[in-house]
Amino acid sequence: MTKYIIRRLIGLIPTLFIVVTISFFLVRIAPGGPFDAERQPPEQVKKNIEAKFHLDEPIPIQYLRYMGDILRGDLGPSFRYQDHDVNYYIANSLPNSLLLGFISLGMALILGIIAGIISALKQNTCMDYTSMAIAIIGITVPLFVIGPVLMYFFALKWSILPTSGWITGRYGWVTILMPAFTLALRPFATIARLSRASMLEMLRSDFIRTAQAKGLKDSVIIRKHVLKGSLLPVVSYLGPAFASIVTGSVVVEQIFRVPGLGRFFVQSAINRDYTLIMGTVIVYSVILILMNFFVDIIYSFLDPRITYK
Amino acid sequence: MSSNALNQENQIENNAQGTNEFDQPLKGTSLYKDAWRRLKKNKMAIAGLIVVIIYSMLSILAPILPIYSYKDQFMDHIHLPPSFTTTAGEQMLERKMVEISILAAKDGRVEWTEEDLLLIDTAIEEAREKFTSASSEEGENLTRKEKDAIADAERTITRERRDIAIEEGRVILSEEEKQQIEDLKLRIASQTEIIDGKEIMIHERKYLFGTDYLGRDMLARTIWGGQMSIAIGLIGGITSVLIGLFFGAIAGYVGGKTDYIIMRVVDIMYSMPYMMLVIILMALFGRSIVLMFVALSLVSWLTVARVVRGQIISLKNSEYVEAAKSMGASSGRIIFRHLVPNTFGIIIVYTTLRVPVFIQMEAFLSFLGLGISAPYASWGSLIGDAVEGMNAYPWRLFFPAIAMTIFLFAMNFLGDGLRDAFDPQSKNKL
Repeated sequence: MTKYIIRRLIGLIPTLFIVVTISFFLVRIAPGGPFDAERQPPEQVKKNIEAKFHLDEPIPIQYLRYMGDILRGDLGPSFRYQDHDVNYYIANSLPNSLLLGFISLGMALILGIIAGIISALKQNTCMDYTSMAIAIIGITVPLFVIGPVLMYFFALKWSILPTSGWITGRYGWVTILMPAFTLALRPFATIARLSRASMLEMLRSDFIRTAQAKGLKDSVIIRKHVLKGSLLPVVSYLGPAFASIVTGSVVVEQIFRVPGLGRFFVQSAINRDYTLIMGTVIVYSVILILMNFFVDIIYSFLDPRITYK
Repeated sequence: MSSNALNQENQIENNAQGTNEFDQPLKGTSLYKDAWRRLKKNKMAIAGLIVVIIYSMLSILAPILPIYSYKDQFMDHIHLPPSFTTTAGEQMLERKMVEISILAAKDGRVEWTEEDLLLIDTAIEEAREKFTSASSEEGENLTRKEKDAIADAERTITRERRDIAIEEGRVILSEEEKQQIEDLKLRIASQTEIIDGKEIMIHERKYLFGTDYLGRDMLARTIWGGQMSIAIGLIGGITSVLIGLFFGAIAGYVGGKTDYIIMRVVDIMYSMPYMMLVIILMALFGRSIVLMFVALSLVSWLTVARVVRGQIISLKNSEYVEAAKSMGASSGRIIFRHLVPNTFGIIIVYTTLRVPVFIQMEAFLSFLGLGISAPYASWGSLIGDAVEGMNAYPWRLFFPAIAMTIFLFAMNFLGDGLRDAFDPQSKNKL
C-alpha cells in the first residue's frame, strides 16, 4: 500500500512539470509584455526594469532560473504590484478560496448524497421528482446565470443577504452563503444523480436480496450494504467535482467580490503579470493534482476490487 | 429452445421473401430508424428537439427577421425598459417628465393640496410629541438629538407627499422646463434616421426586450447573441468530437505503444486546470474567435477520445474486421470505413451533449470579458455586461439568461433522449 502511494506521488511530478512548462512558454510567447504601458518609459529605464526582472536574458535561461526558484518555493516578485512578492499575494488570497471551495464541496456532498438516497428509496414520489428537478437545473444552468439571479433576488430585491463582501467584513458569515451555494449547485446535482442511480442499481442486486432474506433490518441493509457500495461512484467523482469548483470559483469570486485567488488570476492574466499568472496556475494545478491523488487513494481503500501493485 | 431456433430459421427464410410468418411485408430497421422510434416515445426529448429547431430557425433567419439592428446605437434610447405597447418616444417623454418634475419638486415648486398639508402637519406634531414627552417639559430645551429626530420625521413625510404629488402631476414647471418638454415632443415626432437607405421614424420603435447601455435593442442582441453562441457550440462540439474520434480510434485500433502514449497525454491533460490555461491564452493573445475555437477544442476532446477508444477496442476483433483484413484493407481504411461508422450512434450522442458544454465554456469566457467582443454579442457576453447594472436594469440580465437557459435545457434533454435511444442499456447515465 505504501509503495502504491509513493509510486502515485512520484507520478504527479511529470504532470506538474508539464503544466509549469506549458504555462511558462505560453506566457512568454504571447505578444506584449507587462511593461508595455500606454506611456513608454525612457529606453534606459525600460532596460533597467527588464534587467531587474531578468527579462533581458534568453528565454531558456529565464526558464531554468524560474524552475530553480520554484524548487526553492519562491514564486518571484510581482511585475505589477511592487509592495509584495507573489508568495505574499497567494498566501493572502488562497485561504479564502480554499475556505469557499471546501464549504461548497461539503455542502454539495452532504446535500447531494442525502438527496440521492431519499430519491432512490422513495423512487417516483414527489420527493424524488423535486430533488431530480433541482439536479437538472443544477446541471443545465451555468453558474454565472445562477449567481447574478440569486444576487438579484436575495440581496437586491428582498435584502435578505448582503450583495457581496467576505466573512471578515461587517456582515460576517452570511456573506459566504450565496457564493458557496452557487458553487455547490453543479456538484450537488451530479452527486445527487450519481448516488441515486448507483443506489437503485445496488438495491436491485442479489446480495441485497440475500440480506433481506436473512431477515436483516432495512436500516441495517441500507447503512451497511447499500450505502457503502453505492458511494463509490461519488468518491470517484470528487476529483472532477473539485476541478469544477476551482474553475467556477474564478467566476463566483468575480460576481460576489470574494477576495480570493480567482480574482487575482483573471486580473493578472489581463495585466500580463507573468510571475503572478504562473504562481496562480501552479497553485491551482497543485490543488487539483493533489485532490485527484487523494481521491484515488481513498477510492483504492474503499474498493476491494482494486489491487495496489 | 428448439422452437426458438425454428422461428429464427423461419424468419431468415421469410426475410429472403420479404414477408414474415403473417405474410406482412418485412421492413429492415436500421440503427437510426430504431433510435428514432425510441426517441419519439420520449416526450421531453421531442420537446427539446422542437425548441432546438425553433432556436436554429431564429438564428439562421436572424438577418431577415423583422428586428432592429443589433449594433445601431441611439444615445436617446439608453436603458429603456421592455414594453409591448409604448414606443421609445413615449418612454423618453415619460422619463424626461419624471426627471424635470423631480428637479422642480426639489426646488419646492409643488402644488400642495389641503390633504398634503394636513398630513404633514399632523406627522410633525406627532413626532414632536413623541420626542419631547420623553425628556423635558413641553417645548423646553430640546436636545440636539431630539431636534434632529423631529426634522427627520418632517423630511420623511414631505418627501413621501412630494413623490405622490409628482406622480399626480401637481408640479409647477417653469417656462423653460415646459419649453424643454415641448422641444422633446417635437423632436420625437419629427426626428428620422437613415437606416439601410430608408428614412425611419426612430422614436416610433418598440423595444420588446428593452435596450442596453448604448441604446441597442436587446431583442436583436439576444437573437444575434444566440446565433453566435449556437454557432460556437455547434462548430466547437463537432471539432472536439472529430479530434477525439481521430485520436481515440487510432489509440484503440493500433494499441501498444501508440495507445499508451495517447492515453497518457489524455490522462495528463485531464489533471490539468485547463480552463485556467484557456483563460491565460485568451487574455494574452487577444480575443479572436478563431483562437477561442482552437483553445476550447484543444482541451475538450479528451472524454470523446476515451469513449471512442473503448468502443473501438470492443469492436476491433469482430468478424467483419477480420474479413476486411484478410482482403488486404489498410489500417486506415479499416478504422475509418468500418470501425468509426459503427460508433456513430455514440458520436451523435456525444456531439449533442458537447454542444451545451461548449456554449457554456464560451459564455464563461465571455462573462469574464475574454470571449466575444463588441459589436458582436453572445449570451455569455450579454449576461456578463448586464451584471453591473442589474439592480436598475434587470431586463438586460434576464432576457439573455432565460434564452440561454431554455436552450441549454432543450439541448440536454435532447442529448439524454438520444443517448437512451441509441444505447438503451446505457450504464453511465449522468
